[in-house]
Amino acid sequence: MSQLAPSLTARLADFVSPARVVADASSLAACRVDGRSPSAILQPNSAPEIAEILRFASAEQLAVIPVGGKTHLGIGMPPRYYDLALDLSRMNKILACEPRDLTLGIEPGITCADLDRELREKGQFLPIAPPFENQATLGGIVAAGIDSPLRYGYGSTRDFLLGIEFVTGEGLVSKSGGRVVKNVTGYDLHKLFIGSLGTLGIITRLNFRTFPLPPRRQMFVIAFDDSSRAFEFCRALVQSPLDPKVLEVLDPKTAALFQSRGAKFLPPDSWLVVIEAAGHEAALARHERDLAVISRETRAAGFVSLGESQRDPLFGCLSQFPSIALAATPTAAIFRVPALPSAIPTLLEKVRGLAGDCGLACAILIRALGLIYVALLSSEQSSLEPMAGSQLLNCSRSMVELFIGNGTLPTIERCPLEVKSALGVWPPPGDENEIAMRLKRVFDPQEILSPGRFRGSI
Amino acid sequence: MPTSQRSFIRELETLLGASALLSSPEDLLLYEYDGSIEESRPDAIVFPSRQEDVVAIVTLANRHNVPIVGRGAGTGLSGGALARRGGIVVSFSRMNHILEVDPENRRAVVEPGVVNLDLSRAVEKYGLYFAPDPSSQKSCTIGGNVSENSGGPHTLAYGVTSNHVTGLELVLPDGKLLRVGGRTVETPGYDLTGLVVGSEGTFALVTEITVKLLRLPEDVRTLLAIFDSLEAATNTVVEITARGITPAACEMLDGWTLRAVEAYVHAGFPVDSAAVLLMEVEGLREAAEAQASEIEDVCLRHNAREVRRARDARERALLWKGRKEAFGAIGRVSPSYYVLDGVIPRTKLTPTLLRIEEISQRFGLVIGNIFHAGDGNLHPLILFDHRDPGQFARARAAGSEIMSLCVEMGGTLTGEHGVGMEKNELMPLMFSEADLDLMRRVRAVFNPADMLNPGKVLPLGKGCGETRLQPLPVSATGEA
Repeated sequence: MSQLAPSLTARLADFVSPARVVADASSLAACRVDGRSPSAILQPNSAPEIAEILRFASAEQLAVIPVGGKTHLGIGMPPRYYDLALDLSRMNKILACEPRDLTLGIEPGITCADLDRELREKGQFLPIAPPFENQATLGGIVAAGIDSPLRYGYGSTRDFLLGIEFVTGEGLVSKSGGRVVKNVTGYDLHKLFIGSLGTLGIITRLNFRTFPLPPRRQMFVIAFDDSSRAFEFCRALVQSPLDPKVLEVLDPKTAALFQSRGAKFLPPDSWLVVIEAAGHEAALARHERDLAVISRETRAAGFVSLGESQRDPLFGCLSQFPSIALAATPTAAIFRVPALPSAIPTLLEKVRGLAGDCGLACAILIRALGLIYVALLSSEQSSLEPMAGSQLLNCSRSMVELFIGNGTLPTIERCPLEVKSALGVWPPPGDENEIAMRLKRVFDPQEILSPGRFRGSI
Repeated sequence: MPTSQRSFIRELETLLGASALLSSPEDLLLYEYDGSIEESRPDAIVFPSRQEDVVAIVTLANRHNVPIVGRGAGTGLSGGALARRGGIVVSFSRMNHILEVDPENRRAVVEPGVVNLDLSRAVEKYGLYFAPDPSSQKSCTIGGNVSENSGGPHTLAYGVTSNHVTGLELVLPDGKLLRVGGRTVETPGYDLTGLVVGSEGTFALVTEITVKLLRLPEDVRTLLAIFDSLEAATNTVVEITARGITPAACEMLDGWTLRAVEAYVHAGFPVDSAAVLLMEVEGLREAAEAQASEIEDVCLRHNAREVRRARDARERALLWKGRKEAFGAIGRVSPSYYVLDGVIPRTKLTPTLLRIEEISQRFGLVIGNIFHAGDGNLHPLILFDHRDPGQFARARAAGSEIMSLCVEMGGTLTGEHGVGMEKNELMPLMFSEADLDLMRRVRAVFNPADMLNPGKVLPLGKGCGETRLQPLPVSATGEA
């Protein structure tokens, strides 16, 4: 833990009322990032207050990390320094909600579950269904670049974040984008903030395009004896006129994890394709009919149309994949790898082969046919024993080499600190790193915001 | 032209050959315009054929301290492709090749000079298309779309250009080549692709673009609803959204505009009506039918006089002709017009249109309204005669007032045309000096000496020796 001089601690109370400066041991421990704890936690109420704090922090060279639900603080590299946690959970208001305009303005600290409840009452939703939704905040989910099972149908945050307000490292209150559904005025600075892990600024307001709740929805699970048939099915689906909102592929290990987490009805030992369609009854009936045909043509082993009581647990499992993998093996390493649909089947064969060679199990989820999540877990035989650190490290290293050797850019989203320290979690910096560093210095010249956590040592 | 400029042009000629360069006064005249009536004459136009040419041009210009402006088809509506401070225009018309189509992964890699509609035509055989569809799509280029982050009627459902670009190859103003993004759905690190799209040519010249392709819908239903009051039409738009229907397009023409269009296009718009809504739903046959019926129901509940459905492709084309050729029709009835591009929350359509009518009367100018109602993207058309300096000034003032009104209503200055040199001085309506300064510093990361498309997007600095230009009206050459 870094230790602030007592005079500095006293001065923090100039910006935030003393009741909102927290420094007890358990609170500090809860804000730990990769083993580092802050010296104090500040709970600001407004953007101007954050601006004052950051001006002070910049002047004093204090490293600041924004925290919300503290559910995704493990993402990224360990911070180089960490003095202050900026806890945004008090900034949790809905500032504007106009269902007839499909627009929403919120503070960053509102939890995904609370927002979802409010929106549903108005017949709306945001296609953000993150892990730990009861604690995870919208600001955190955007800053950590977390996606959801709805990505296939609705895209990622980039596609429905209309604008943000933020405070830069120097304490400048600024904004980008707008509050209406269509806007090209000025530079799209807010796109930089998505997945930036708090390295550019503190988000103080987010404006989203919302979506009307569909009248009905229907989830389908199609089982296959092997991966090649599952992907053949996906290719046929993509070429059909069908318009699913969820399209995820699970390997047998992931299916087994989900079975043990509330989706007992899933067929065992199979590759599963999970699809959800939304809309009017006739459109859902059409999906059911055509999906059954494609399933037969691609020799599926099973085709199930889920009832609502089965749908919710399975959807929950899909969105909770990282937390389920971590529950199975607390030291799991979870890779996130964007890949082209055509490259996925071969890549997965190699991944599974490699994990087997390392004596580890792996659980795979393919999101929206464009993103591979691989969790390296302890193998079945030794599931009660912790994974040997060196085994995980060696396998993770080979895995990174495998992905990079196949032209993809892997990120290790979750892993033990030893793996982070040895391998880094980001792919090596690319040619764009010089520009990225210069952008960082524009937003945060003193480099006090989440220093060192981002790609390219930013 | 100063001697140094002449020697620069000679060097360019040596580098690329005489056939890749225009610099005679009569040639330059053609490039002092785009879709706006902003005017600014470049010193030369160069036509690179490949990325290496672009690097060579930029390196040379950099050495000679000459401003560079990229240009696609010149259909832009905010003066984005004009050489505001002189220098060279880099025309991408020869870099017009579709480099690769990857139907399985639904990607295409194109040079910036590829015409928007040409890409959709080239991939139609795979059942795919490129979604952004500006009305100028028969001539505008994808490079231009990337610069301006262009929209179009169907962006209501599918989003603007930035939603459809995954990777770019850039030439920075110092001649360095940089690839950002890629073909996959995301790339770890800051989203530089998202930042560069819509930067209006002020960050880099784009030499290669990787775009997403969408599957052509199975079915399309096109409806025309006719209203006796403008308010009934705007309320219909709000109600459609409230019911959870997202049409692929939802376009409105007010009474004055539809009469002008009907006289020219004969699309079948009843000339005694107050407004028409042209709406399209698409997708799975069952979904399109259900939504079309629901839209019909909403229109009739809001006292639509009549709702027509296009029965076949010919009828659909005719209805769209009325929308897409509207600007040509206006050109017949007025010597000049000024196309505005503002966005308001769609729930504010009725009060905004009433205020525009009030502005029209106060300035004594006809203002027609034809716009993307579904997303609140207004395109008021101010008619004037540019030969009459008084009218010209009034049109300009009325335009500024309408833009301020859009911001006041909670909207923005541009939904798809870009800021360019038309609205850069209006940016303070939306952004504080600190916001603009941050944007200026972000631009400087890519373009530190302001040699790429200078004088665009951001307000001109007070102390830079250049008079602050007023936004100028736009001519009848443009489309929206």
